[in-house]
Amino acid sequence: MAEYRLDCLGEACPVPLLKTQKKIEGLKVGDVLIVEIDHSCAMKNVPEWARKVGYNVDIEEVEEGQWDVYIEKTK
Amino acid sequence: MTKLTEHPFFKKVIKDAWSYWTGAMLLAVLNVSLLVVSGKPWGITGAFANWGSWIYRLLGGHPENWTYYAPGSSNAKDLLEQSFLTNNLSVQDIGIIFGALLAVLLASQFKIKKIKSWKQVVAAILGGLLMGYGARLAFGCNIGALFSGIASMSLHGWVFAVFIFLGAIAGSKLLVKYFMT
Repeated sequence: MAEYRLDCLGEACPVPLLKTQKKIEGLKVGDVLIVEIDHSCAMKNVPEWARKVGYNVDIEEVEEGQWDVYIEKTK
Repeated sequence: MTKLTEHPFFKKVIKDAWSYWTGAMLLAVLNVSLLVVSGKPWGITGAFANWGSWIYRLLGGHPENWTYYAPGSSNAKDLLEQSFLTNNLSVQDIGIIFGALLAVLLASQFKIKKIKSWKQVVAAILGGLLMGYGARLAFGCNIGALFSGIASMSLHGWVFAVFIFLGAIAGSKLLVKYFMT
């Protein structure tokens, strides 16, 4: 049940999504990945992809124009 | 009483991204309105060519001799008779910038992002130059040639669509190669 952070600040689409997909591959079931994003279009496609795969997703707005996306690898 | 920023309507309209369907409908309606009012469908990058050429003229150059500004063409009229504030396309572009700023400020999501690496700078400059050059060769960008072209029942919009798709595939491969390491 480890927690990992992925820094995607300053990255534009589709780099945050690609990095998230690559990073989560190496995680174990039950691990949580926190993706740091400040690109509003990645705020749409990263959670959308994770929910489609069936992972649990939670979004927190940490400051103006910056979000932490919590993705729990459930399977 | 709920605060304005926590009101569900505020959240849906101001804060959250609109659905693709909402965006598509609005773009279609606005483009039709623009065509009715100004006589031309929506475009973006045509104005950039004029901006560059106006500056070049101010510095003593003669862009009016270029084929792009052939005498009698609408490009030549824009170049010789219009300015930054009277050219429809230029005003529309300024509107896009201020509209986007207004939307992001209302949603309290304005942020100045840091540049992460020199690779981003190189890619942005190279990409911008290639897209600008390509847009002039194709008589428009993905708005002027693709979006407005297809909406005007012109074949060139569909040709543009096929090749922008191929370009996107090539671009994605380069992106993975240079930005995923």
